[in-house]
Amino acid sequence: MEAADLSHHTSRRFNEDLERVRSKVLAMGGLVEQQLAGALGALIDGDSKLGKTIAANDYQVNGMEVSIDEECSRILATRAPAAGDLRMIVATIKTITDLERIGDECEKIALIAARLANDERPPDHYRKVKHLGWITQSMVNKALDAFARLDAELALATAREDRVVDEEYEAIQRQSITFMMEDPRAIRRALDVMWVVRAFERIGDHAKNVCEYVIYMVHGKDIRHTSLEHVEQEIRNRGARA
Amino acid sequence: MAARVALVAAAGMALGALFGRPALMAGVALALILARELQQLRRLQRWLRTDRLDEAPDAGGVWGDVVGMIARLHRRKQYHKRRLLRLLRELRRSTAAIPDGVVLLNPQAEILWFNRMAARLLTLRSRTDVGLRIDNLVRQPEFVRYLGAGVFAQPIVLRSGTSGERYLQMHIVRYGAGQLLLLVRDVTRQEQLETMRKEFVANASHELRSPLTVIAGYLEMLANEPQLDPALAGPLQEMRRQAVRMTGIIEDLLALSRLEADAGPVEGVDVDVAHLLEQLRRDTLARSSQAPELQLQIDSASHLRADLALVQSAFANLLDNAAKYTPSTGTVTVRWWTDAAGGHLAVQDNGIGIAAEHLPRLTERFYRVDAGRSRATGGSGLGLAIVKHVMQRHGGSLEIVSAEGRGSTFTCHFPAERVRAAAAAA
Repeated sequence: MEAADLSHHTSRRFNEDLERVRSKVLAMGGLVEQQLAGALGALIDGDSKLGKTIAANDYQVNGMEVSIDEECSRILATRAPAAGDLRMIVATIKTITDLERIGDECEKIALIAARLANDERPPDHYRKVKHLGWITQSMVNKALDAFARLDAELALATAREDRVVDEEYEAIQRQSITFMMEDPRAIRRALDVMWVVRAFERIGDHAKNVCEYVIYMVHGKDIRHTSLEHVEQEIRNRGARA
Repeated sequence: MAARVALVAAAGMALGALFGRPALMAGVALALILARELQQLRRLQRWLRTDRLDEAPDAGGVWGDVVGMIARLHRRKQYHKRRLLRLLRELRRSTAAIPDGVVLLNPQAEILWFNRMAARLLTLRSRTDVGLRIDNLVRQPEFVRYLGAGVFAQPIVLRSGTSGERYLQMHIVRYGAGQLLLLVRDVTRQEQLETMRKEFVANASHELRSPLTVIAGYLEMLANEPQLDPALAGPLQEMRRQAVRMTGIIEDLLALSRLEADAGPVEGVDVDVAHLLEQLRRDTLARSSQAPELQLQIDSASHLRADLALVQSAFANLLDNAAKYTPSTGTVTVRWWTDAAGGHLAVQDNGIGIAAEHLPRLTERFYRVDAGRSRATGGSGLGLAIVKHVMQRHGGSLEIVSAEGRGSTFTCHFPAERVRAAAAAA
């Protein structure tokens, strides 16, 4: 938890700057979570009005990304942070990019949900899609919790859940193919559903990325493109030595 | 002590006198005493360094006194400490057992302490979360805004849980020097009941409508039947009147349900208030044969940005009420004006008025000032509830001033951002 202690700076203003950036990232995360919940709700309840509202709200997420980005640049330029602080700023810049993409995917889902609301609902009422949506929602939530608490273990566990998302994605894909073969009239809807499912799968990937940045921020280790088992071993060893 | 030193020094001097070295012997004796005292001091120091202050070492004379005093001080301190700890533990245990979540925050909204229920409701972890900002963990934009605004007069209700299945009421209270107390309560059950109630009313009204349409239709057919027994004409007329009234109640109930279902503020279109009021005046006069005089006083040409259907029904309700409760010899004045605060529509009558004790409850559904009088005039009992909801949806309010026997004034206040100057509207 040593990285959570940002109070060791001689400059109080610097501390406040870092804390403010972190809070802004998490506020942006909260907005993204709300967008995701709304997009999923619009799909499940067939609420086209909600879907359109959510899609129209994406500009807020974009606005926050720009503002946080500027603030990070300012801190880099004026404070020249080092070590843990530098890692935090770098991780923040990357995190907001992924959050913004999650926002974009939510917009996509919401627009398709608004369109699907007018169509006939499939016999399973999007049960599997709903389930996938909940998993990704909880992934995003835990990734942001890990970011707030600088909790590398939670980040690692959450990153691992991405596999479940991938499996669910495959399963829904197979199911959709069956639907399409059974009833060609359902193809248009099934294709739309595939777009939604694909968006959820991408959201899972972005959440995983955020988790990786958290681990980078805490342990100073870049774990992108390495196997999670390897990372776990690495973190264990560090824990044993510390 | 001083006496002992003097005694030893004297004894040393006496002994030294035997050997002809009184000063030396006295010095040696004093050195011995000093060594002994220093040793005692060392023992005292060693004892104070250990944590076992309860076990006092044996020491004589002044040192024994000092040790005894220190030990007593220590015992007293221990006693108070234990008592305070016990009190504190009791306090913590009782706050932890409070069925609502409690979180203490410092002025920067960083978590200082929270109880078990708060941990459960907000999924906080005691090990890591103390010192973190609450809005970093409770990230719902609505809560972040609530915390940021710093106005905590009203609690807010948040949806939480993966599928938004849980409702949490959050209320922040200021205390001490800028510290904040966050109270969290699970209101899922209440929210569900409220939803159920709304749905029930909407569904029941909807289901009642179709049978009523059939009844009203047949009653109309029967009334036009030429061979009908003339004795039945009176009852039939009354049945038709009641069927019309019942339809009115159901329409109003459905209107209220719709108003409640769309909780958000209305966007609205441009409404020409003067034109609308003129139209409503004609409708009201046409409906009633013994209507009082209806005067329009348009002091502003400004338009209103509002939902036309909603404000039309609200204004119509106010005009109808005024016409109903004012004798045909009375006067109803409708005034529309604008000022810095916004737009205002007042409907003033010099009718029978309302007693003060009824005013706070007047906008409740089916509230009757006097059971006889409102049924006789055929109101649904929902009119003012509708007006209130319409005003809420427009960010405005309904003000009622009345005196029994002298008349009433109902004023709709619209916020300034809904008022459009006539030139801009045209």
